[in-house]
Amino acid sequence: MSRQCTSESSQTIGQDKKILLMGNPNVGKSVIFHKLTGMDVEISNYAGTTVGFTKSKIKLGDVEIDFIDVPGTYSLESVSEAEDVAVKFLESNPTAIVCVLDSTYLERNLKLALDIQRYNIPMIFVLNLLDVAERQGIHIDVDLLEQELGAKVIPAVAVKDEGIHRIREELAKILEDGEGLEGKSPEGDRPSSKELWDRAAAITSKVQSTSKVEKSLLERLGEKTIQPWPGIPIAILVLLLALGVVVGLGKGMRALVLLPFIDDVYTPFITNLISNFIGPGMLRNILVGEYGFLIKAIEWPFALILPYVFLFYVVISFLEDSGYLPRIGVLMDAVLNRLGIQGGSMIPILLGYGCAVPAIISTRSATTKKERLIVTLLISFAVPCVSQTAAFISLLGDYSMLMLIAVFLTSFIVMFVVSRIGDKVIKGKTDPLVIEIPNLLLPERKSYFRKLKMRMRHFFLDAEGPMLMGVIIAALVIETGLMNQIGKLIEPLVVGWLGLPKEASLSLILGIIRREMAVLPLLEMNLNGLQMFVGSIVALFYLPCISVFAILIQEFDTKFAVVVALSTIVAAFFFGGLVNHIGLLFI
Amino acid sequence: MTIYNLDKEDRCRIISIPNISLLESLGIREGVAVKVKNKQPLGGPVVLQTGNRNIAIGKRIAKQIIVEAL
Repeated sequence: MSRQCTSESSQTIGQDKKILLMGNPNVGKSVIFHKLTGMDVEISNYAGTTVGFTKSKIKLGDVEIDFIDVPGTYSLESVSEAEDVAVKFLESNPTAIVCVLDSTYLERNLKLALDIQRYNIPMIFVLNLLDVAERQGIHIDVDLLEQELGAKVIPAVAVKDEGIHRIREELAKILEDGEGLEGKSPEGDRPSSKELWDRAAAITSKVQSTSKVEKSLLERLGEKTIQPWPGIPIAILVLLLALGVVVGLGKGMRALVLLPFIDDVYTPFITNLISNFIGPGMLRNILVGEYGFLIKAIEWPFALILPYVFLFYVVISFLEDSGYLPRIGVLMDAVLNRLGIQGGSMIPILLGYGCAVPAIISTRSATTKKERLIVTLLISFAVPCVSQTAAFISLLGDYSMLMLIAVFLTSFIVMFVVSRIGDKVIKGKTDPLVIEIPNLLLPERKSYFRKLKMRMRHFFLDAEGPMLMGVIIAALVIETGLMNQIGKLIEPLVVGWLGLPKEASLSLILGIIRREMAVLPLLEMNLNGLQMFVGSIVALFYLPCISVFAILIQEFDTKFAVVVALSTIVAAFFFGGLVNHIGLLFI
Repeated sequence: MTIYNLDKEDRCRIISIPNISLLESLGIREGVAVKVKNKQPLGGPVVLQTGNRNIAIGKRIAKQIIVEAL
């Protein structure tokens, strides 16, 4: 998932020929970008999905030109990083601008459009989400709007490909006409924002007519979900349902299909095959022994982790596209305020239950540095990623559901403590919530499946390599006896303090590579209940994986990343040992 | 009177807003009529309707938005 999220905002903005895609947040720019360039980008139904900018080539006739998905902004005044990026692009001599307008809220979208028009750059307008507007009884006279704006206006329903072809045609025409309009700095004084609003309002009332329509079921549901009653029970139900799908269905897939396949078909087959060629000994053990590479390399990622990862993305992608996530943020704002953060941060936290890397990147949309730091700390310390959750389920789920719940309760307590400490220690203040609640939409099937596919592909690309590496290391250090040597070194800590067998040191080594690897080796060690719980607590706190470390350096700095890494390790050992010693009192 | 004093379903016209440009950009600006959709419990945000959009505004800011009832 991290592939297209690299910090491109730090890139310098060159003067080469380019076309900009601009507009308010959450109007479908990224959908249009994908349709025009074929490049996969993250798309969701809430403001701020595109935090950096994305660049790709677009082919128009026989010309190829840079096409840039500028992060959505409500204005050109410097509010956050997004506006600064937008203005920099406007001033970088672009060839043309595609400005996307949300038909369901024309006035506000026009206000930005009029502000952009002052730069005298050839523009075409895309009147998107027309289907949603029609359903809400909003009708827009496209010809009249073209006259008012003095530019082409293309009616569109981008998710359904409507209007996409015409955008291409109109852009090609602008390129053919050559440099026609010279992009130059806005002339005269900048109109006040009141003047822009007034003009936008005047145009809107001219071109837009509304008719009373009965609210659709989805709209009525959308209204209900933001009322405390029944919104809060609905939110609890949605989260329980999500959990049920991921945990329940995942366990089912694992127990009924995947594990029987591994245990009864694959393992005997591969063991026999290898045994035909290689006699008993270290090499055979490395390949198909207890930690055999050829067995664990299939069993761990595919049977234990994959079903949960897949189901998590099935659920979270649906919630993202439906526009439901910001609603949880609104309902949770009062609770999060007490932790020193605001409801808007609920989205990064929820994404963190998938993978911390995109979650930490998405904290860029936080309004203050302090908020960003607190949420990042909270994700690094206490939010288990989906792979790690899957490993917890594999380790604890069959032994005791209660224990699994206890691990998650612990993570909530840690979240609470970390953000309280963060609030006290980190200087500055956080802003209260100001957030637009998007329309509740039924996710469009094609783009939903594309997103799912894209995420699974990223999982395979980003996770499989490190996991295979972990499995190879495990097979090598255990089967060669190297583990015993390392084990002796950290024995006092692992055996004495944590009460785990000395092979558990393996978890601590592999956990550096991937988070679930801190848990999976424990599966093979015949641990008792207390040991399983201690192992899980250690893994929960323990170092976020190496990719997270890299993203912390990228998004903040090396010092911050090192501080986070060290303090998570210390916390892991401290609390793991504490749980062990308290537990021993009761056994 | 601030917008936080209002109850669910009340309508009002905004007289002044604090200097937060995001508010204005979202359409919460002087002279605009808005409707209070709800107030979240435990000091949560106020949800306002402007145009056909819902905007949630945290309590600390809502208490700085001066309005007159309609």
